[in-house]
Amino acid sequence: MNNTLLENSTQWMKSDPQNSKRTLQRHKLIDRIATALMSLAALLLVLVLLSVIGILLYRGLSTISWKFLTTAGTFTEIGGGIGPQIFVSVYILFLSLLFTTPLGVGAAIYLAEYAKPGRLTTAIRFSTETLASVPSIVFGIFGAIVFLTVMGLGYSVLSGALTLTLLNLPLMVRIAEDAIRAVPNAYREASLALAGTQWETIRKIILPAALPGIITAIVLTGGRIIGETAPLILTTGTTISPNAQYSLNPFQTGETLAVHIWVLKIVGVPGLKDAQKVADGTAAVLLLIVLIVNVGAAYLSQRLQKNLRGAR
Amino acid sequence: MTQLQSNNNVVTQSLQDPALTGDLQPEIEARNFNFYYNYGHFKALNNINLTVPRHKISAFIGSSGCGKSTFLRAVNRMHDRTPGASSEGQLLFEGQDINAITDITNLRKRIGMIFQQPAPFPLSIFDNVAYGMRLEAQNIPKSEIADRVEHALHAAALWKEVHDKLDQSGLALSGGQQQRLCIARAIAVEPAVLLMDEPCAALDPIATLKIEDLIRELSQNYTILIVTHNMEQASRVSDFTAFFTIDENRAGTLAEYGLTKQIFTKPRDRRTEDYITGRFG
Repeated sequence: MNNTLLENSTQWMKSDPQNSKRTLQRHKLIDRIATALMSLAALLLVLVLLSVIGILLYRGLSTISWKFLTTAGTFTEIGGGIGPQIFVSVYILFLSLLFTTPLGVGAAIYLAEYAKPGRLTTAIRFSTETLASVPSIVFGIFGAIVFLTVMGLGYSVLSGALTLTLLNLPLMVRIAEDAIRAVPNAYREASLALAGTQWETIRKIILPAALPGIITAIVLTGGRIIGETAPLILTTGTTISPNAQYSLNPFQTGETLAVHIWVLKIVGVPGLKDAQKVADGTAAVLLLIVLIVNVGAAYLSQRLQKNLRGAR
Repeated sequence: MTQLQSNNNVVTQSLQDPALTGDLQPEIEARNFNFYYNYGHFKALNNINLTVPRHKISAFIGSSGCGKSTFLRAVNRMHDRTPGASSEGQLLFEGQDINAITDITNLRKRIGMIFQQPAPFPLSIFDNVAYGMRLEAQNIPKSEIADRVEHALHAAALWKEVHDKLDQSGLALSGGQQQRLCIARAIAVEPAVLLMDEPCAALDPIATLKIEDLIRELSQNYTILIVTHNMEQASRVSDFTAFFTIDENRAGTLAEYGLTKQIFTKPRDRRTEDYITGRFG
């Protein structure tokens, strides 16, 4: 019995050398084809990304000037500016992250560190997952009902920021929870064994260790805020009052860069002859903002991770 | 019942052994202690009775899954975080029932723990050692921290290697150094007891010997409980040895507890003898 087993297991060593050579060649060929296919896919991805950046910058860069970035567009003048739109975009980004980050990280801490497995936790997790897949325009309708009508905020930067907060919370919670769960359990046990309370452990060890992941969550959320249109059209509006440009008043209506593109391309601005050019310039600016934020965040996150790993 | 009596006799005999000089005082006592996982469905420890004497090293040996670590983690209530874990009987620290303590940080202030995997926090060497001292429960004045960090690093035999790089990350140290850093971190807050859960399992032989020397050194001031799979280690470092085994219901139980010398030369229990001489089952 033992002998046959041994013979079976060593069969491959004794098998016909000619045959095994052929098998080896076949395996090598398959390996090469697979490697080539995957390299091709990766190359394609890079090409798509580069062509998006290339085409948008090619069409938009010529429009971008200091004046374009800092002044407001007028209906009559060619090459209208987008200064107020940049301001509103950044303002809504800031306001919305101000709500989303503490709420999202707080919920993530609860789910990862405090929630005991059970019906409540399952219900919370299920609703977060479901909310994450609800289309953003549905959140826009919800925001229009609750913030504009019920709470009486009207079309405003605040209504838009709150609506985007609801839209982004599930994503923020999910990524932050994953980051917190990824912190080694050994840190928790070591801190608790030293007589640390749960909150001390979270504040001093877990949150700093999870920070790179939380930054990723903030960046992804920020990207969505910058690029979102539908819910903002329904809650913030599509106009910036000429006498309230660069106003910090959150109860004003507003128009972000992304919404501005939509207005220029779809709604149209009567009298503005170079709407296409302005839209291209705006798209290029939007792209540049997203690129800068992403590269900056990646750099920050990498540095933090290096610190965590103990490299100098 | 007979089992319980025989266990108690062993312990009493050991503690009165003339080979040990000085008075032995009980630090941790288990009385008819049972432990369960999974909401009472799995009994992990069955009727444990033993007395761990103060300022001695007690080694816990036995095959995997016999409850050594479960017992160790019950002493500083690390099981509080495990859903469905529960215990019966008494586990006493300085005569007080550990499971009746309401403020868990009061208990953990007095009982430090070293884990199998050295896990320095992603902080500097200094901040790692100072971590415990800066916690609310430890209540140590800020002005004392620097001195006590140095003292703890000396006591953990690490000062010479790290004194010129206290601001570097603890994670940049070697495995053995990391474990000594964790020991420094635990003793910086001056507990009475140190629980060590296979502290050398992840280390090379040289680092292991260093830690063993350190453990012997520390036993002058600390009561040490060490779980180990390494029988030579148990015989080298410990004063007392507890041999755990699995009973017919797959629960961990204490087969024999006594002076290490006696356990390794004249085991009273057949199962201990089999285990020590390498005959299993």
